[in-house]
Amino acid sequence: MSSIGTPAVVMDNGTGYTKLGFAGNDAPSFVFPTAISTSTASSKTSKGGPRSTNLASKRGLEDLDFYIGDEALEAANGPNYSLSYPIKHGQIEDWDQMERFWESSIFKYLRCEPEDHYFLLTEPPLNPPENRESTAEIMFESFNCAGLYIAVQAVLALAASWTSPKVQDRSLSGTVIDSGDGVTHVIPVAEGYVIGTAIKNIPLAGRDISSFIQQLLRDRGEADTSLQTAEKIKEQFCYVCPDIVQEFSKFDHYPKEKFAQYIVEYTDRNKKNIVDVGYERFLAPEIFFNPEICSSDFLTPLPTVVDQVIQASPIDVRKKLYKNIVLSGGSTMFKDFGKRLQRDLKVLVNERIHLSERSSGAQSTGVEVQVISHKKQRNAVWFGGSLLAQTAEFKSYCYTKRDYDEQGPNIVRNFSLFAVP
Amino acid sequence: MSQSLKPYLTAVRASLTAAICLQDFSSQLVERHNRPEIEVDNSHDPELILNPMVIARNENEKILIEPSINSVRISIKIKQADEIEQILVHQFTRFLTSRAENFFILRRVPIKGYDISFLITNFHTEQMLKDKLVDFIIEFMEDVDKEISEMKLFLNARARVIAESFLIPFD
Amino acid sequence: MLHIEQNNLLLQNTLTERLYPSDPSANPKSLDRIVSDFDFTTFHVSTLSDRNLILISVYLRCWDDLVNYGVVNYLSNKYANFPSLTVLTGGEIEQGYNFSIVLDVKAAIEESEESKQELIEQLSLLKRHSMAAPFEQAFARYDELSKQYANSNTYSEEVQQELLNEPILVIKYRGIDESIYLKPSFDRVTVIFSTVFQDETDKIFGKVFLQEFMDARKRAVQTAPQVIYTHGSPPLDIQQVVHGGDNDNKGYVTFVLFPRHLVKGDKRDNCISHIELFRSYFHYHIKCAKAYMHSRMRFRVKEFLKILNRAKPENVVEKKTASGRRFDRS
Repeated sequence: MSSIGTPAVVMDNGTGYTKLGFAGNDAPSFVFPTAISTSTASSKTSKGGPRSTNLASKRGLEDLDFYIGDEALEAANGPNYSLSYPIKHGQIEDWDQMERFWESSIFKYLRCEPEDHYFLLTEPPLNPPENRESTAEIMFESFNCAGLYIAVQAVLALAASWTSPKVQDRSLSGTVIDSGDGVTHVIPVAEGYVIGTAIKNIPLAGRDISSFIQQLLRDRGEADTSLQTAEKIKEQFCYVCPDIVQEFSKFDHYPKEKFAQYIVEYTDRNKKNIVDVGYERFLAPEIFFNPEICSSDFLTPLPTVVDQVIQASPIDVRKKLYKNIVLSGGSTMFKDFGKRLQRDLKVLVNERIHLSERSSGAQSTGVEVQVISHKKQRNAVWFGGSLLAQTAEFKSYCYTKRDYDEQGPNIVRNFSLFAVP
Repeated sequence: MSQSLKPYLTAVRASLTAAICLQDFSSQLVERHNRPEIEVDNSHDPELILNPMVIARNENEKILIEPSINSVRISIKIKQADEIEQILVHQFTRFLTSRAENFFILRRVPIKGYDISFLITNFHTEQMLKDKLVDFIIEFMEDVDKEISEMKLFLNARARVIAESFLIPFD
Repeated sequence: MLHIEQNNLLLQNTLTERLYPSDPSANPKSLDRIVSDFDFTTFHVSTLSDRNLILISVYLRCWDDLVNYGVVNYLSNKYANFPSLTVLTGGEIEQGYNFSIVLDVKAAIEESEESKQELIEQLSLLKRHSMAAPFEQAFARYDELSKQYANSNTYSEEVQQELLNEPILVIKYRGIDESIYLKPSFDRVTVIFSTVFQDETDKIFGKVFLQEFMDARKRAVQTAPQVIYTHGSPPLDIQQVVHGGDNDNKGYVTFVLFPRHLVKGDKRDNCISHIELFRSYFHYHIKCAKAYMHSRMRFRVKEFLKILNRAKPENVVEKKTASGRRFDRS
């Protein structure tokens, strides 16, 4: 085939952000919002109905008149474009727009002829098989891509953790904590298969942390309380503390080291604002561990959720799940996030062991709890995909255009699992 | 609507209304089975199958109605004047059949010689209004032709714009 | 997006990041990135042991052909004007790639805004420039021929024979099946693309598109190059250099560039950039058309389902059942 030698394309389309790149690279080439802004003339109502009179629609080109990613956000500020997000809750909702999103991703950003490349796409856990078929229909029929593999995001996140020295055996079993912008998922994976019944979602993630910081800034009456500033503070200053009470007193005793200042810069160079950064440094990430400080309807701390998830999984895989807890996504990047999670979870597990030892009288062999943080956490899913797609075996696991033409879309309902030596 | 299309559709409508008279009927061959008789090999009990009929507007546009006691199979051949229409019809019917489960009465595989087939059983007529089912088939036949010719027009228009915008910058 | 950009966006972004660092005092990070482009082109951008030096290498499938047509000289000349660039030669070229340039970031940052932009621009056009070499050569040959025959009777048999024997430049830019053939003459340059269609739909859509390419000259753009499309067997001009038998999925697109397109300077450059991307542009638009068809068909499926659902008596009351939600998705 003509696709020998070309790097595979790895596309991770998430609810908030899309990561695009080529296999073998250590970071995605493009990261931009999964947003598309289409010319308002091409909206569905105009189909068949009276056409609007602008030039593009006269020439029948309105389907090419759109922007994706950051350009989409920009274009949506103007009058002629309307913005939409084709992916909702991890799943593709609007196929027309997704198809065009991919079109632009491939030809404008990645600049590759899909006929020459294999593709690795990702999907959320519990994605309906019909969605896979629709994806394959687009990739093969519209784009004639050489080959396609659709991987579950959680599994790729596990694969990405193999770069950490803490991981000894490269198994595909473990618990993935995937916290992006919108939702946090806790997903148990056994031997490459997601245990669907045990998955739990936490409605707290990056966006909530940012708005929590924003709230604190507003309460204090800081000079700049925009969401952007809150986001910057989150990324630059926040960390996870071992104990809130102690941390408060540390702030009181050593204010110089703890309090910080963030200088907000504007496009107008002469204008500058200084924002004090205080307790939110450790309070913001704390919402994972003490959700009551920011949310009133969700009150279960993350370690407890993880414990519940593992307890809901089959008993024979639980040890592996405790031993390999993998972090993925931008909101797990806080300093010492993994450490704190590991400590709190250990406490929970040890309590239970203690209890059962007392009631049964037998000595337990103990359960190892290990949370793995690694350098590629931010784009772990993409990186895992890149890792898998650069192996020599990858192409043999893909379905090719010919397979698709012979057997039809339902061929993609099953992909064989990837075992990397 | 062109001259000959109307009588064609009227004939189809009348024949369909007549053909969709279905009743529950258990298999005479296999105990406790209830199958659409038109789909099974009925050499044993030919009395369950009624005479099939073809209504044709011309050799490229026709409909085959095969009634039986509890099911009727309707196969449509869509007008295809040239290579482009052929490929468009092929694409469109494939797109539809891959979504067959949403359509209840759509057959995943068309009968040989036709582009798309429907299978209506007595269970469908029990749940759905017969007149509306006939309406659906008729509207389908109308809209498919319209859609194919619109797609063809689009393709030509698009090709023209693309060609021109490639060639103009040379000068 | 109507036209495909000339330059490589990712290459451009990578270099811009480097030349406009957000924190100039920080040590530059190491970089190791594979960047792809159309027609099996691969770039490799990496930092050397000194992180201020960036090695940019390119691999093109048709490099061997390009070398015959003087690509090395052409590129070296293109990049000679930038003091911060060093073109590597011989054994210095990165293993597995065809052409390597080293960019000294430290030196480049010091340069004026204008030359920085120009540097980024020219580097991101690396693929365009590589492919341009044979075109430049063919066009130069056209200059020679037009001078040579300026005063002779070009209809005489000897001249016709000589022109017929004019060597053809062959660039197998996508392997043996898809090539570009260039044939200079005294009053024109003929550019022939051979392209292969992956499936039946592409082939038919492609035919429709190319028909319009042929007709465009008659109808709207009289000044455009003449376009001729032949399907299956190669046009006479290039029959002697085409290998392999006739292939039903293969098409030949001939562009006849007239002197007005070949005026030296910007026009000629523009012409080269434009025609180089013909194949990508053409196949891109076939795919876009298919994508648009998909969205039409999705819309139509929804409409059909609406009609069918009218047949359900209970449908009037409960529109949002579990099955009702399924319909929206399709």
